[in-house]
Amino acid sequence: MADAVIVLTLLAVAGCATAAVVNRDPARQALVLAVLGTVLAVLFTVLQAPDVGLSQLAVGSALTPLLIMLTVRKVRRRSAAPKDGRQ
Amino acid sequence: MTRRARLWLVLLGGAGLAALLAAACLRLPAFGGARHPYGDRAVAAALARRTANTIASVNFDQRAFDTMGEMSILFAAVLGCVVLLRQARDEHRDPPRPAEVAAPVRRYALLTLPVALVTGLYVIAHGQLSPGGGFQGGVVAATSLHLMYLGADYAALERVRPVEAYEITDALSASAYLVLGFAGVLAGAAFLANTLLPLGTFNTLSSGGVVPLLNAAIGMEVACAVVVLLARFLDQAVEIEEESGE
Amino acid sequence: MNGWLLAATAVLAVGLGASLWGVSTGPLGRRVTAQNLSTALLCPGLLLLAQGYDRTSYVDLALLLALLGPVGTLVFARLLADELAGDPPRAWGPTWAAAALGTVVVAVLCAVAGPGRAMVKLLIVGALLVGGNLIASRALSGGFAEVDRG
Repeated sequence: MADAVIVLTLLAVAGCATAAVVNRDPARQALVLAVLGTVLAVLFTVLQAPDVGLSQLAVGSALTPLLIMLTVRKVRRRSAAPKDGRQ
Repeated sequence: MTRRARLWLVLLGGAGLAALLAAACLRLPAFGGARHPYGDRAVAAALARRTANTIASVNFDQRAFDTMGEMSILFAAVLGCVVLLRQARDEHRDPPRPAEVAAPVRRYALLTLPVALVTGLYVIAHGQLSPGGGFQGGVVAATSLHLMYLGADYAALERVRPVEAYEITDALSASAYLVLGFAGVLAGAAFLANTLLPLGTFNTLSSGGVVPLLNAAIGMEVACAVVVLLARFLDQAVEIEEESGE
Repeated sequence: MNGWLLAATAVLAVGLGASLWGVSTGPLGRRVTAQNLSTALLCPGLLLLAQGYDRTSYVDLALLLALLGPVGTLVFARLLADELAGDPPRAWGPTWAAAALGTVVVAVLCAVAGPGRAMVKLLIVGALLVGGNLIASRALSGGFAEVDRG
């Protein structure tokens, strides 16, 4: 019974990671990835690895989404720029 | 190589990997078993050096050399990003217009920034006592500065973040780790050996010998590296325009 | 398995299921709301786990999540402001429900911890969690309306 929470979070990680791959739009992938980071941190906590969980939370909840979304913005601006001139 | 041959190669390699992994998994100890040969030795060594958090003892004492490798990987990766994302000759800077952020969001960002900064420093300083350490705390501290961008605008962030200073501090704290390592050699022990400082009282801030100092060096290095990395990304996403886009 | 772990499992089951479902389906506005709610639902779960394992140092995980989760939502609110402007997500029902869950969990744990440093830390986590989520919801529903780029 004590393993129920481990099984639960493992299933959630598998589902979330699959959702991150199935989504094709980078912005929506970044959203799923942010949630995946949090879910992974919960998994590391229930596996009694709080140090790894803290690393995952620090990187996954704000830093990775920021890097991805800034890249998405740069790519979108670059592809939009030739059409309507100075944006 | 034809497409068909490549497919066979992938299948062959994949089958080999799967067979080896399956063979390895069959010999694994059972999940949640009571026998932990490595864990028992690591905990004994950590307690002998009066470090309450065994993970910190493994990272910064028993395997401090590995951590130096990881630090250099981060350093080199950030250096690569700085080189790749520099302002090219056919690009120019176009400062964005000041942004109007809703008042509650701005207040939240300004209130949370110092809290997050202090939390980052707390996580670094307590690395030898509780979960956390230089990497985690450094990332939190670096993220906290970027609340200036989220809660106000890019110009506000640039005022609190002189990138050159962070680049220099990044290099300085990376060398501080090396200097701490060589101090062990000069003292007659080995590189990164934890024999330099008194071990202190178990479960206090100053325990663990050199572990808190190495933690602080890594924390500074990671915080500065993340700030420099995000500065390059923000420059590209917000300020730098291609000439052809005019 | 003690009662705390049972409660944590229940909270995590609801939180993981709801945020996973919300973030992987539907329009963009709903996905961003689900990302915000994942913080609000999983952070109480982490607090209950810390109590269930009887390890006060695990509260640091909840502290970091309460601090950085809303920051992550602000990132999306700011950099997706254009896409969200047409149909600003206004999910105040789930937001207040999640805030109530966080408040109840923090209040119960404070009552168990009794006055002291542990209680102060729990109160900080609770304030950051509830405040951060309400502000992040506010930011999603038009907090960056005047930001065109940058």
